[in-house]
Amino acid sequence: MSLADLFTVVAVSAGAFFFLAGSVGLLRFPDALARLHALTKADNLGLGLVVLGLLPRVDGLLGALKLVAIWALVLLASGAVSQLVARVARRTGPRA
Amino acid sequence: MAEFLLGAALFVLAMVALGLARVVRGPGDAERMMAAQLLGTGGIAVALLVSAATGVGATVDVALTLALLAAFASVAFYKSATGAPPDDAGDRG
Amino acid sequence: MGTAFARFLGFAALWVVLVRGVAPADLAVGVLAAAVATWASLRLLPAEAGRVNLGALALRLPRFLWQSVVAGVDVARRALAPGVPLRLGFVGYRTGFARGAARNAFATITSLMPGTVPVDDTEAEISYHCLDVGQPVAAQLAAEEREYADALAPGKRLG
Repeated sequence: MSLADLFTVVAVSAGAFFFLAGSVGLLRFPDALARLHALTKADNLGLGLVVLGLLPRVDGLLGALKLVAIWALVLLASGAVSQLVARVARRTGPRA
Repeated sequence: MAEFLLGAALFVLAMVALGLARVVRGPGDAERMMAAQLLGTGGIAVALLVSAATGVGATVDVALTLALLAAFASVAFYKSATGAPPDDAGDRG
Repeated sequence: MGTAFARFLGFAALWVVLVRGVAPADLAVGVLAAAVATWASLRLLPAEAGRVNLGALALRLPRFLWQSVVAGVDVARRALAPGVPLRLGFVGYRTGFARGAARNAFATITSLMPGTVPVDDTEAEISYHCLDVGQPVAAQLAAEEREYADALAPGKRLG
């Protein structure tokens, strides 16, 4: 296994771990706002690590930039949407 | 290497399904919006892994479209759930 | 005009990255798409809403990425380790960022910080939901605000 492959395996595995953590948080955390923390933070880090791990496998600078651009777009969308979810949760949730 | 990437894709898919099982139970509107967000983020990760494993680049474009549609769906849902007027998305209710 | 042109260039660059190339046919559609995107962005987020200095923001990228890692590890620890408690609650934070693009950018950045999600805001305050109210949340947010002060210039107040 080459060094690049090893890098991919380590980073993608770490990313998968954070998807696991995010979903366990969704199951275990007691209310909507707490679950929102698990969803936004763990899953975005998971996606970031998956992207990082796939970078050595794409050909060319544009391919790598595209992966990073996708991550940035998802991050931006997720950061904005999570604030909307929080407003809805605060209005309807039991802890509001 | 392709086997590893497909395996990782399956694992992330299973995690998305696990999370969906929770948020679909509700009880509130916030959970439904989180389901869309979970599908957006997790779905993109799955698609990127599948695309890297199979070499089919178009998978990524499909996933990117879905992720952005998920964001639009959430914003539209927010507006209908809160009754926010169309020009006032950032305002509190 | 400066704002419109800068945004057009940004959208065009994003297009080139997403279609992975500058073939003439792609580029023609790209120019059209970037023009429409610029028009929409100017309607939805007028230049007067405040400026976000992308260059200065880029300098904070390592800090932002590190914060995202810490935030992810923090959430993973609380989700997976049985002994780590949650102390949920709300913290109001008085911010110097006026409402507008700068405030929104700050809220989005801090939504990815460890333990905080912005849930609401008033004229002077952003309200955060926290995973652990025992942490010095307000002090951490103040440190972030100082860090980003020159990258997020508040503009004319909208709404």
